[in-house]
Amino acid sequence: MPHKKLRIETKNRVGYILLDAGSRFNKLSITTIRELKRAFAQLEEDVKTNVIVLSGYPGESFAVGADIGQMVHFSPNDAFHFAELGQSLFEQIESCPKPVIAALNGITMGGGCDLAMSCDIRLASESLRIGHSGAKLGIITGFCGTHKLPRIVGKNYAREIFMTSEIYSAAEALQMGLADKVFHENEFWQKISCFAERIASHELTALSAAKRLINAAEDTDLRTGCLLERETATHVNVIQQIV
Amino acid sequence: MPEKYCTIQSKLNGITIMTVPGNRNASAKDILESIRHQANALSSKNEIMGVLLAGPASGFCCCRIEDSATTRDAAALSAFGQQVMFLLEKIGKPCIAAIEGECSGLGLEVALACDFIVASRAASFGFPGIAAGLIPFCGGSQRLARLVGKSKTKELIYSGNLIDAEEAHRIGLINRLHAEGETLALAEELLAHICTRSPNAIRIGGEVVNAGYDIDLQTACMLERDAFALCFSSFDQREGMQAFLDKRTPQFKGE
Repeated sequence: MPHKKLRIETKNRVGYILLDAGSRFNKLSITTIRELKRAFAQLEEDVKTNVIVLSGYPGESFAVGADIGQMVHFSPNDAFHFAELGQSLFEQIESCPKPVIAALNGITMGGGCDLAMSCDIRLASESLRIGHSGAKLGIITGFCGTHKLPRIVGKNYAREIFMTSEIYSAAEALQMGLADKVFHENEFWQKISCFAERIASHELTALSAAKRLINAAEDTDLRTGCLLERETATHVNVIQQIV
Repeated sequence: MPEKYCTIQSKLNGITIMTVPGNRNASAKDILESIRHQANALSSKNEIMGVLLAGPASGFCCCRIEDSATTRDAAALSAFGQQVMFLLEKIGKPCIAAIEGECSGLGLEVALACDFIVASRAASFGFPGIAAGLIPFCGGSQRLARLVGKSKTKELIYSGNLIDAEEAHRIGLINRLHAEGETLALAEELLAHICTRSPNAIRIGGEVVNAGYDIDLQTACMLERDAFALCFSSFDQREGMQAFLDKRTPQFKGE
């Protein structure tokens, strides 16, 4: 089945999922979320892909939340199921055994910000505009943002971002830790490919194990985490020596 | 009267400024009692939209350090202090600490219980109690470690040194850094801006952030999903989204 809201390209062991909804904003509609789920499943299976890059490049936006025109009519039940669908995509990205890089090319608001936070690393262009406008719309986010954001930038910045509903710049995102690196617009895409290809040149077994362990560190006490690391490291390092 | 240590100024725009300079002769218990008293009064008033805790240049929540307390007294003071901080956290309205001068000891404990801190370049932060053999007792060790990490928290508590506002900004203790003398006005402007947003979404969002921070991510996300669905039975959701579509300013009711 072809994709309508995105395209997939692969090059040098990097799989690119490029959101392209055909308008200024890549809205996270039910269709887009379902297509993203299929695209991630496809690249997860693809043996030639070690790293996945998610972006809206060369468009103006990375991604934004759902269509307000549709959401205004949501019942609590619709909202419940919509949150579940979105959260299932983010869980899929987190449990994907390949590193996932969010290449934030521009406007990244609401659900788009949550989408970026489910990725392992966030690299931004100077044209990044990021924020959460829920409080302006009379809602909170339903895509894990209330928990991901405090874990990435700390509770205080998270509360400020939610409460103001303001749009933050690339420099502000970098200062808060919401963006890991910021690149100049002109060299953005070249830097992204370069960064992704360097990671993709490493052993996938080691990359997957590292991703799994680091994600586990968030919810595990230190002793259990260290046990998990010992088991995983033994397994991964033995495989590498045999190969 | 315990409330004498706090000055309350309620404005027409729904913002209440609570100034707590404290008093070097007041006990921590008296200062905490006055904060408890005011926080209770503020949280029950619907016309109050946001709270600004102001730390003047003279210092924030200064108090006398008790040196003759028994173990039992110390335990009771800690339990009471922690209870007051939780009360402040659950006030149900946006609450910003605006710090102009020294914010140390009890002052830092109170600032850490606010939603976030903004400060002047002249501000300083720390837990100097160690010089008298004291450690934070109102949850400060836990809140600070969660905010800036364990290493920095240990450095501050072990050394008792105060850090300047620039360092506080760099480590994420304060969200915004302002020129000397401008903090209170700019913080009030920011709070007034926040108060134009949906009080309902801000309250639910704040509670979900707090409740979800110390539990596993999956359970936290379930909590968020249900709170998100709840928003879609509110007036604020219909008004906020309709206003967005009509390209007008929403008129929220907080219900």
